[in-house]
Amino acid sequence: MGQQLQLFPDKAIFWKEQKSLLLSDVHLGKAAHFRKAGIAVPGTIHRHDLERISNLIHQTGAERVLFLGDLFHSELNKEWWFFEEWLHTHQEVQFVLIKGNHDILPPAIYQQSRLKIAEEELILSPFILTHEPLNSKKSKKGLYNICGHIHPAIKLRGGAFQQLRLPCFYFGLHYALLPAFGKFTGFYQIKPKKEDIIFAIAEDRVLHL
Amino acid sequence: MAKRKVNELQQDFSVARQWFSDKGWAPFPFQEDVWRAYLEEKNGLLNAPTGSGKTYALWFPCLLEWIRNNPDDWQGKRPGSLQVLWITPLRALARDLQQAMQQVCDDIGLPWTVALRTGDTSSAERQRQLKKTPECIITTPESLHLLLSQKDSSRLFRNFRALIIDEWHELLGTKRGVQVELAISRLQQINKQQPKIWAVSATIGNLEQAIEVLLGQKGAREAAIIKAAIDKKIEIASILPEEVEKFPWAGYLGIKLLPKILPIVENSQSTLLFTNTRSQTEIWYQQLMAQAPELAGLVAMHHGSLDREVRDWVENGLHEGKLKLVICTSSLDLGVDFKPVETVIQVGSPKGVARFMQRAGRSGHQPGAISRIYFLPTHSLELVEAAALKKALKEEVYESRPPLEKCIDVLLQYMVTLAIGEGFDEKSLFEAVKNTYCYRHLSREEWEWALDFITTGGGSLQEYEEFNKVDLVDGIYKVQNRRIAMRHRLSMGTIVSEPVLKIKYIGGGFIGTVEESFVSRLKMGDVFWFAGRSLQLERIKDLTVLVRKSKSNKGVVPRWAGGRLPLSTQLSKLIRQTLEEAAEGKNNEPEMKRVEPILQLQSRWSAIPDSNTLLVEHFLSREGYHLLFYPFEGRFVHELLAALVAYRISRLIPITFSMAMNDYGFELLSDTPIPYQEALEQDLFSTKNLMEDVQQSVNSTEMAKRRFREIAAIAGLVFQGYPGKPITSKHLHASSQIIFDVFGEYEPNNLLMLQARQEAMSQLQEQDRFTETINRINRQRLRLELPPRPTPFAFPIMVDRLRERLTSEKLLDRISRMQLSLEEYASKEGFLK
Repeated sequence: MGQQLQLFPDKAIFWKEQKSLLLSDVHLGKAAHFRKAGIAVPGTIHRHDLERISNLIHQTGAERVLFLGDLFHSELNKEWWFFEEWLHTHQEVQFVLIKGNHDILPPAIYQQSRLKIAEEELILSPFILTHEPLNSKKSKKGLYNICGHIHPAIKLRGGAFQQLRLPCFYFGLHYALLPAFGKFTGFYQIKPKKEDIIFAIAEDRVLHL
Repeated sequence: MAKRKVNELQQDFSVARQWFSDKGWAPFPFQEDVWRAYLEEKNGLLNAPTGSGKTYALWFPCLLEWIRNNPDDWQGKRPGSLQVLWITPLRALARDLQQAMQQVCDDIGLPWTVALRTGDTSSAERQRQLKKTPECIITTPESLHLLLSQKDSSRLFRNFRALIIDEWHELLGTKRGVQVELAISRLQQINKQQPKIWAVSATIGNLEQAIEVLLGQKGAREAAIIKAAIDKKIEIASILPEEVEKFPWAGYLGIKLLPKILPIVENSQSTLLFTNTRSQTEIWYQQLMAQAPELAGLVAMHHGSLDREVRDWVENGLHEGKLKLVICTSSLDLGVDFKPVETVIQVGSPKGVARFMQRAGRSGHQPGAISRIYFLPTHSLELVEAAALKKALKEEVYESRPPLEKCIDVLLQYMVTLAIGEGFDEKSLFEAVKNTYCYRHLSREEWEWALDFITTGGGSLQEYEEFNKVDLVDGIYKVQNRRIAMRHRLSMGTIVSEPVLKIKYIGGGFIGTVEESFVSRLKMGDVFWFAGRSLQLERIKDLTVLVRKSKSNKGVVPRWAGGRLPLSTQLSKLIRQTLEEAAEGKNNEPEMKRVEPILQLQSRWSAIPDSNTLLVEHFLSREGYHLLFYPFEGRFVHELLAALVAYRISRLIPITFSMAMNDYGFELLSDTPIPYQEALEQDLFSTKNLMEDVQQSVNSTEMAKRRFREIAAIAGLVFQGYPGKPITSKHLHASSQIIFDVFGEYEPNNLLMLQARQEAMSQLQEQDRFTETINRINRQRLRLELPPRPTPFAFPIMVDRLRERLTSEKLLDRISRMQLSLEEYASKEGFLK
């Protein structure tokens, strides 16, 4: 079928045939969510995240952005309105959210935004896009699953007890994982097997390992 | 005239003396000295070890004062308000204290109530205390802060007469000690009666400073310092291996010596065996049961993760002389004496003179008895430490506990604590805080930053006004949001522990707690040892590990994180001296004789440094290029030195190091050649730009990040939940490391980040020690040795896998020499559980 996926060190995939940017786990609004609860993390983190998406759109000429879940971190806060304004600065682009476990805003909020919503999955053959990896029983025949949720990272080992942990893209037999896009997110170290394909993000490079 | 009359009354100790003589005792002179000084309205410090009668030294004058002021009706009327506030570091001690103190009141017919207020106090009991104020409250620093977080705290604390800080040496030099300082500053503002302040401390190197921290410079000058001249004889003997391992490996030797302790245990009424970790306690218990099954029923174990009831049972067994041997950790360092204990065994390095002596003092309570302590080495080089400890005993060397400086995390927590209670006026609070020792150098700017942090969340960006914590209402800083108040109460305290899970039998029955990280490595059906029992993991439910008994004796032993203690400055120095004596053939202790083969090998392949020499070794192994330094200054100082040296070498060429250290030295390891000749010529320990370079090296490693974990939890950035209770607000969870990175990028000058760097850099305010070390090294001659293979000194450091890393290479260059770690594949579903 020959689909072309371009991997960016800024933790996104550009799907050439569909002119679509795939990103996962942005977790916008997380800082504000924490601040509302009295936890003083810097409030400006997500401005930077949005700038990064804008840059990717300009760089790739994407006509569509597909968020693979956990776009917005939990309850409504002011960060959402800022995000809506930002959406309007990209009139020519279509935005789709495939909902993740953190995307729990009231339906009306999503409806009044420019965002299109997919409740669980979006099928764009030959891919099925979800937030959480599909269990091999549930996955549909002939479709390859691309998803997020895990925040994958891999560990590299070297001589002299050296080690490194890097966020990565993972392509396995059943599904592919995107690294978490948001700045205010953590890693989960995955343990791939030999036949899996891993692209690690090393600063401004994507490396095939 | 009036003054003389008071003086006459002061001398009236009759009630107290009568009580002593009714018991068939007589007060010690030091006890009466304390009574006298107290009744002269002095503040003071009593220097007395655990189990010396210090409680009666301070409890009686509190009572005598009330009796003096109410000569006619003290047996009839109650004060109706709090008179004495007694702070103790351990909950477990509080209960014994309360019983002893209440007993005195009951005996002399004083209608006072002595109450406990700790984390164990039930809410029913707390309600009772609210209705009928007890005359004395015994509490911990944490619970005292909780009392300060109550809406009517000033009513409770308005009138009390005395504040006693028990075992102050345990708190001094810790963030809990800072909590005590802050509480005192608050109490002094609330209480207009000028309550007397007394501390009790075991012998430490900085007793004068200890009292100054509590009373200020002027207060300390006027205070009484009373020494309990209790001269207890201590005898140290080492349990010597028949043959020493030439390549010492920590932990291995200890168990091999187990058979040698059996006759010691046999010949002693009761014995306490101290290990340095909870895991070691489990291992020793298990091995003992395997090798001496006849002792079953006579041996018990005691550590902080065991159920309180189990620990109570063990303590009672000790009191009653029913137990022949108890294997324990520092959990039994303090507290009332166990009279039947005749002997103490210390397994592994105690890391400090004071701790060793304190443990020794837990034995031999009959009048004139000798405290007997055996030292059991866990690797052969520790025998050098035993010889050094003997020297310490001879020369009466004690460690200092340097107080902490300007802990922003504790300050932020304290400000919110007051804000959820009665609230605070920032001017008067600033004044009070500035009056403490810890915050005496706090600037107005730093104070305003702290105020900003708790009200606007710092960063002061107008558009982000959605910050909820502390509000300013009519000039008073207050928390109005109940959920925030609740969350703060749940996360108060300065002891930051790993998340733990409860262990319960599947049929019911709580056994204790283990750390989540240990459980996460187990699979269902796995067997592990806990509380001396072999347990099989059945399932994990609601943060509880459900187990059943197992017959297998092949289980794993849980590990508890928890810092490895560094060797104290004093003990480090003694070790250097002991080694030098040995090298010159001047030390004839049996320990040094036994360790001779190792020292000979070390000397043949490399050298034994004397006090004028810094030994450096370089060699190549399968793992890479090793460069080792032996300053013998303790783990913390070595951590910093390793980072500094690695940083300075990494400026010469692009290179990546992994570093390891122990109390004797440190190692830089690289997979590419280390330009050591060039580096050593460059003067690696130069004082030029020293602090800048240390700062840089701290920034280039994970040291500050690791310190930040505790800081973030104390300052309320990471909500931990309760020990054993689930994190209720999952969506509020972010690890301290993520927050550290975010601050690093967006708010690098956040004072908590500065504190993390400061704590890493000065290694808990030990900057003086670091500078002294650098100066000492600069006076020394550098001796480079190129041994053919790892030396006995190098071996224990090399095997350490807990490593710090530092690099000056490009990331891509590093990656090109690395490999993806392909570990075992978890399941068909990939790596997901």
